[in-house]
Formats: sequence, C-alpha cells, structure tokens
Amino acid sequence: MTVAAPEKELKTVEKPKVFAFNALSLKDLKALSAESLWSFNEAELLAIQAHFKAQRREPRAAEVETLAQTWSEHCKHKTFTGPIRYNDGKKTRLIKNLFDETIAKATKQVAKPWCLSVFKDNAGVVAFGKKWALAYKVETHNHPCAVEPYGGAETGVGGVVRDILGVGLGAKPVLNTDIFCFAPPAYEGPLPEGTLAPLRTLRSVVAGVRDYGNRMGIPTAAGGIWFDADYRLNPLVFVGTVGVLPVWAVKKEIKPGDLIVTVGGRTGRDGLHGATFSSANLTDEAPASAVQIGHAINEKRALDALLCARDRKLYRAVTDCGAGGFSSAVGEMADGLGARVRLENAKLKASDLKPWEIWLSESQERMVLAVPPKNLKALEAVFSAEGCELSVIGEFVKSGRLVVTFKDETVVDLDLKFLHKGLPRVERTAVWDVPKPSSKGAVTKLKLAEILQRCLAHLNVCSRETIIRQYDHEVQGGTVIKPLQGVRHDGPGDACVIWPHAATGDMEDLSGFAVSHGLNPEYGKTDPYRMALACADEALRNLLCVGADVSRAAFLDNFCWASPEDPHQLGRLVRAAEGARDAAIGFGVPFISGKDSFYNQSKDVNGKDLPIPGTLLISAVAPVPDVSKALTMDIKGPGNALYLLGWTSEELCGSLYNEVCGLSGGSVPEVEVRSALDGYRAVGSAIAKGLVLSAHDLSEGGLAAALSEMCFSGEFGAAIDLDDVARSGSIYSNEALLFSESPSRVLLEVKPENEAAFLKCAKGATVKRIGETIANPILKVRGLDGLVVLEEPLSALKTAWQRTLPEAME
Amino acid sequence: MSEIKPRNGASSYQVEIKLRPDYTDAEGQGALGLLHSLGVNTAREVRASRLYELRGALTSAQVQQAARELLCDPVTQEFRMFNGHTPVLNGMNHWRIEVWLKPSVTDPVGDTVRAALEEMGLAAAESVRVGTAYHVTGKCGRNQLEKAVARSLANPVIHRFTVTEAPL
Repeated sequence: MTVAAPEKELKTVEKPKVFAFNALSLKDLKALSAESLWSFNEAELLAIQAHFKAQRREPRAAEVETLAQTWSEHCKHKTFTGPIRYNDGKKTRLIKNLFDETIAKATKQVAKPWCLSVFKDNAGVVAFGKKWALAYKVETHNHPCAVEPYGGAETGVGGVVRDILGVGLGAKPVLNTDIFCFAPPAYEGPLPEGTLAPLRTLRSVVAGVRDYGNRMGIPTAAGGIWFDADYRLNPLVFVGTVGVLPVWAVKKEIKPGDLIVTVGGRTGRDGLHGATFSSANLTDEAPASAVQIGHAINEKRALDALLCARDRKLYRAVTDCGAGGFSSAVGEMADGLGARVRLENAKLKASDLKPWEIWLSESQERMVLAVPPKNLKALEAVFSAEGCELSVIGEFVKSGRLVVTFKDETVVDLDLKFLHKGLPRVERTAVWDVPKPSSKGAVTKLKLAEILQRCLAHLNVCSRETIIRQYDHEVQGGTVIKPLQGVRHDGPGDACVIWPHAATGDMEDLSGFAVSHGLNPEYGKTDPYRMALACADEALRNLLCVGADVSRAAFLDNFCWASPEDPHQLGRLVRAAEGARDAAIGFGVPFISGKDSFYNQSKDVNGKDLPIPGTLLISAVAPVPDVSKALTMDIKGPGNALYLLGWTSEELCGSLYNEVCGLSGGSVPEVEVRSALDGYRAVGSAIAKGLVLSAHDLSEGGLAAALSEMCFSGEFGAAIDLDDVARSGSIYSNEALLFSESPSRVLLEVKPENEAAFLKCAKGATVKRIGETIANPILKVRGLDGLVVLEEPLSALKTAWQRTLPEAME
Repeated sequence: MSEIKPRNGASSYQVEIKLRPDYTDAEGQGALGLLHSLGVNTAREVRASRLYELRGALTSAQVQQAARELLCDPVTQEFRMFNGHTPVLNGMNHWRIEVWLKPSVTDPVGDTVRAALEEMGLAAAESVRVGTAYHVTGKCGRNQLEKAVARSLANPVIHRFTVTEAPL
C-alpha cells in the first residue's frame, strides 16, 4: 500500500478560495492582513503581490496562509536576523544580522569540535562520550499560557519534547526543565478583562507541566521561577527537554521519492491562528480554537514507536509539527527539494475540516517522517504495535515546488525558493539609552538579621518545594543530583545531574550530564549587557557546583522581549545579545540552540502598553565525567574549612538587598570573564580530585543567603569572618560584604586534611578561607570591626525561607 | 444516567461518578478553597464528581455496563443517573456547578474513554466528553457563584459551565 485510504470521507469539498489580491492598494492589503490575522508588514505584502503578479495569477488562500506561517517571527526570527540601525549612545552603525553578529559569531569563534549540530535542527546537539550525543532545546509558550495556562503549559512541554523527538533521527527524552516568570501570586492591582489572576496562572501552569511530564515518564528536575509585577499581563513559560541519541542518528537526509508520512495524533481544528493573542470572541460556535489541549499518552505512544523505527532505520528524516502544522513541517523538510502533498489522506478528528484547515492545523502530538517506500510496511507494523496511527500524505519530489492538493483541487502551489528565501528584510532602528551613573542611595536602618530573613523569604529566593514536589523528578531512575538536597531533602540545589544510561543501555558507564540556568531580569532593567554576562556566568557556576566539566559546557539562549518596533526596546535587546556573545567567547562556551519571543507587551487597564522586563534565559548543559563524584550544596559536617572563590565588590544595583531594604542605585554586578574562568578551572580540578565536600553558588542575596542555605540544608552551623573575604578597596560595610551580588563567586566546604591539596589546585585563583563549619546550628558572622554582627539560629532562617511560597499559593 | 435526546438513531447518555460520602473528597476541598478565596464564604462544603457524556447507538444496559466496569471504582465510588432538567427550589442551599470543555476543544480524556469502550466491545460509542460537577452546600447567590467559577473552576476560553440550584 503506498497511499492510505482516507479515514473519514469529507462531506463538503470547498473550492480553495482565491483572493483578489494583486489589484489591491497597499492600504487594502494591510486591512486584509489585519483582518486575516496574518501579521505581514508592508514590505512583505508588496513582495507577495509582486510574486503573484509575475506569475500572472491571484494567490490561493492557503498559499497566503502558508507564507504567513513561514515568514512569521516565530519561524523566521525576523528581528534577530534582519538589519538593525543601532545607536549605542555615541554613534550609529548598521547591524546586518544580529544573530550572525552575536550568538552565531560566538559559536563560530569558540569552534568546539564536539558541537555536532548547532542552530540548524530542532535542537542543539553535542557529543556525549564516543557513541552518544545530547540534544537540548528550550522553548517558550507564553501566549498560550496567558490564555489557558493549563493547556498552554501542557502543549508547551509536548512541543519541546517533540523537538527532541524530531532532532536528527530522533532522541530519547531523559529530562524536562521549566522556568517561569510570573507576577507575584498576591498581586492585587487591577487587571484588564480576560487577564487571569497571577496565582491562577501559576497554579495552572505548574499543573500543566506536571501532568504532561509525569504522564510521559520524563523527569522534570531543573528549573526556576522569577516574580516581577511587570509579568502580570504577559507571563513567561520556558520549557526545555534534553534527549539522548546515538551519534549515527544526528544527521538526516531526504531523498526524492521518499514518502511523507504523518504519525501520532489526528488533525483537527486545534490552534488555527494560535499565534494570535486575542481569543475574546472565541465562543461555542467559533469554528476555530486558538487553544489546544495536550494528550500526553498519544505522544508517549509516538515516542516509543518512533525510537523503535529509528533503530531499525526505517525512515530517513523526521521533524515535529509545531506552529504552522503540516505547512511548516513539510515546507521545511522540502526545502532544497520539493513536495507533493495529498491532504485527503490525512487522518482527521472531525470530518468537516476544510483543506486549508488540514494544511495549517496545529493539532498536537504529530510528527512528519520521510520514509523510503520499501520500508512503509515495516513502519506500519511498528506504529500499529504501539496503537499509533500513521498516514501517507504525499512524497518528496525534485521539483523545487510545494504542491498541495485536496482530491482534484490545488490548495497550494508555491516556489520553495520564494517561500524560504523571498522574505524581504525590513531595517529596524535601535537606540541604547545609556543609563546615568547612579550613586548608592541612603543607608538602611534594618538590622542584618532582619535583612537576611527578608532575603531568604523573598519570592525570588524562597523554597520552591511546593512546586518541585508535584513533579516526578525520579522517573527513569537516573536523577543523581536532585533538585532538593540536604539531610532532609529540602535544600536548594544549584543544578541537577542526570545519569541517562538507563536509556542507552550502557549500564557500566558512569558518565552523566548536568543542566542549569541563569536568569535575572532585574539587572537588565539597568544594563542588559551586564545582565547577559551575569546570566551566562550564573549558569556556568551552577554547573561547576555539582561537579560538571565546565570546559565542555554548552549554552542555549532564550530571549523574551517586548515589541522590537520600539527602538528603545530593540536597543536593549542588542545590548543583551552583545553581552551573550561576549560571555560565550570569553568563557569559551558555544551557543548550540536558541529561541526568541517578541511582542510580550499588552495594554493595561488604562490602555497603556505594559512591556515585560527584557528577559534572557541562559540554559547550560555540561557532561559530568563520573556521576558518583557529583556534589551537593549542603554542609557535610562540623570543623570543615569554608572557602570563598571570587572577588567581592560593592555591586548592589538590581540586588535583592536593595529591594528588601527599599533602596536603589549602585552598580550592576559585572562579570570579569578572565578571572572568573581561572577560578572555575581551579575549583573544577579540586572538585574532580575529590577535595571539595560541598559547593554552592552565590547569587540573589549574596554571601549571606548562600551560606544560610548551605547550613540549614546540612543542619550544621558556620562561623565566618567578613574581614577574610577578598574584596575591592572601596568596600567598607558589612552589609555590602554579606549581600553584594558580585558574580563568579562560589562557597566551598573543604575537609581540614585536604586544605593544602585544595589550595595547591586553586593556585592562581582568588580563593580565601573565610571561616569554618560548626556543630552548633547557628550562623555566626564577625564583622569588619571584629565584633559579632550576626548570630541567628538556622531554624529561624529555614522557616523564613520555607514559609513564603506555600502561603502565597494557599 | 439518563437518556437525553436521540439524534440520528443514536442516543446521548450522561453518567455521573461520585465518591462515596464516607471518603474525603480532596478535589472538592480544593474547589471549596478556591471559592472561599474568591469571596464565596458562605459555601460550607463542595463535593466533586466526574461527568461522562456518551453518544452513540448504545442501549441503556450497555451504558450501565460501561459505568460499572470502566468508569466507576466500585470500592470508593458510585455511579448514578443524573437528570439535569428538574431543578428543585431549596432556598438556595444547594448548588450544582457543571464544567465541560467546549465542543470545539479537543477532549483527550474523552477520546481515551471512547477507545477503552471500544476495547470492551462497546464499539457503538461514537464520542465521549468528560466534565466535572461540583455540588456546593451553603447559602450562595447565583451571580456570586458564576463570577467565582469563571475565575477559578472554569476558564471561559475553553469551558462552558452552568450553575443551577440542585436537589440534595
């Protein structure tokens, strides 16, 4: 059988609509574009008109829809790859392609041979040992989560898992990650009609991530949440998946004559025009639903069948059906070749779908394969054994055209060159408003103990146990370093370490990998460049703390920004991208994959645009050569030395200290890449030699918060002397030493008998002994003047840290 | 379980699966907490139950069999006929909230139940939709309840819901 019989007979075959497009004026074209939810700009509309005028015919409806999908910000990343005239505060220059000149440039310059596939495929791929490779992708699903948080989060997870299934010839997902940016749950200000309360969004998104990941049997073991009231209209939901695949399966190649086979769920009306935010007029009668509901069990079936078919080499290429459905999946696969699609063969959920709806539907849980005809029988057997449906909807041909028909009707007949290369570039303007140097503000009257408690209790620091415990982070049995650590399994880990060999079958192999994140939009409010460096530094530092090999780390970037049409917002984006570039080049860490999401701004109750804070998530992955040597962050015993890696300066702008004390100003933490890297190398070698008992990175809340977390997680106290902290000459207050957020710092616990060896390893790095651990469960800090300035029982600190989120989510 | 209206020779049945009264109803308690947080302080208790709407050329005996063997856990749950068309005035002390996915929204649980029915030999089931009912005890106002439900138990973008006075 070469072509599957249609599952359901379509009742009505509508003739594809043809637009009277070519005669329209620009004004009418723009009106039509707005009405049809295409979001084309002027240049694009004119380019399409010119193309079809030259063809001497009007475009068909589905053709314009296909172009709208393929040329969308989502698929083509117009902002990142388009020209930008950028004024950096002094002079103006032209950036031809921001992506090529920042992110891609860094990867090229760093030139790591173990990067097996970067930016081309559905995920970035790096080598993992000799036989295996790791694929990692992080996606955002912001707009769907704003409208229907549970379904949006579910389909977000489902989508990124399919990206991993669709990388190379398919990878086995072994870890899910999730990072959220929400308004505080207790936010009580006015919200416009249709905007969900932040608490509801938080609860439902967590439930969606939980249900989809748990049902598919993928551990959700790494992530974070950031709270800021400016996310109230546009919450951000980042979801990521790491997969393992054999090295031979990294490359895909389609040959003419290969069949186009779809597997997984059926096609329905789900998510037509899903990219559009407005769903206010979605009623019972509405023909299309912008909202999709996930079906984890269907995706699990497709996963199992697909990996079985991969190992029997039954297909030559695979990709997932994401935004744009068949139109984007088939359109992408056919690039450089050509495709002939017969939509009447697609399996449908409802019998009355119109051809263009089948072509563009974003129904979940679908994958597209390129299958040599001789393998079809065997492939059908594999999929039917898993109870998974399959249909042949056409074949790849060497025509350079994308031809889609429904029975006798032509639905789409497009030149692939025009589809993929015809997008006109529009120059945008960007301005960087150099912030005025702000001096440090007033001094706080709060006591140190009070400040520390407030820091620990702050929403952006407090325990995430309420959420983490809803996720199954143990399934597949490879979670070596868990998200919650310490003697009571409730301390905040820096990164998770996964041993994926239950999936590979190499049970003797003790290698694993670690995954971590860096995110701090607060720094970006003042300086997006320093924010990007700080995020990259934090992600790397977190990897170091669990014993990963940071010289083999790889980064992923996810930019979420407001409208790029606002030159000031775009200027901040350019700054952030340049920061990401300089971090990657400086640390020698390549970017392997990334994604961007723009237009994260909405009108508030007063009709004023509320943009989100420019947000950059840096995710990092690195191998852990021997998972049995991985570290946790809790103090292991009394009488051990505490060493601090890194230099402390007075860097309090955007800090938690400023926020809890109601202060502002100061300077944004600035990464010194070269000295940071020296420190990481030194400490990395000490950890590899087994000389370090525990390690924890210093981030929000500085030294005081990090030390508190290590102590109450291990249930041992600590006594430190601030005078022993390596610091810049201008720092003179205990507050600044305890709460400054200078980057690149790590706190380390070392056994007394290992101190000499540790210091030998750490030669050349700034490592200072600042105190020791004690049996008494208190945190004791001696100030610069030699007096004890802080002495707090660990129980009080832990209670403050644990209480916030359960209370907020009540 | 009740037969609602025959359509094209096919029938539509509704089955309600309730937790037995002596079991703690966590879902109901969660719903009560949500209603309280939205100002419906007069609600004293909420019991949640699962609703199934089965369409197809099924007999009433077959639907009984499906409810007994597939939809209901006989240890903790019981199934019953539900008739939504006879509201009984009771001084607004008991309310029934029903939340269903809109017809245009995919219902994965319903699809899975339909496949399971087919496996147990009831291939005539054409479609299954799943909903939730909340039985609220306490003197509440309809407007107040409707507003609270739209902000907690249902998302009007994908759900349709009803709030009716209910018999005990």
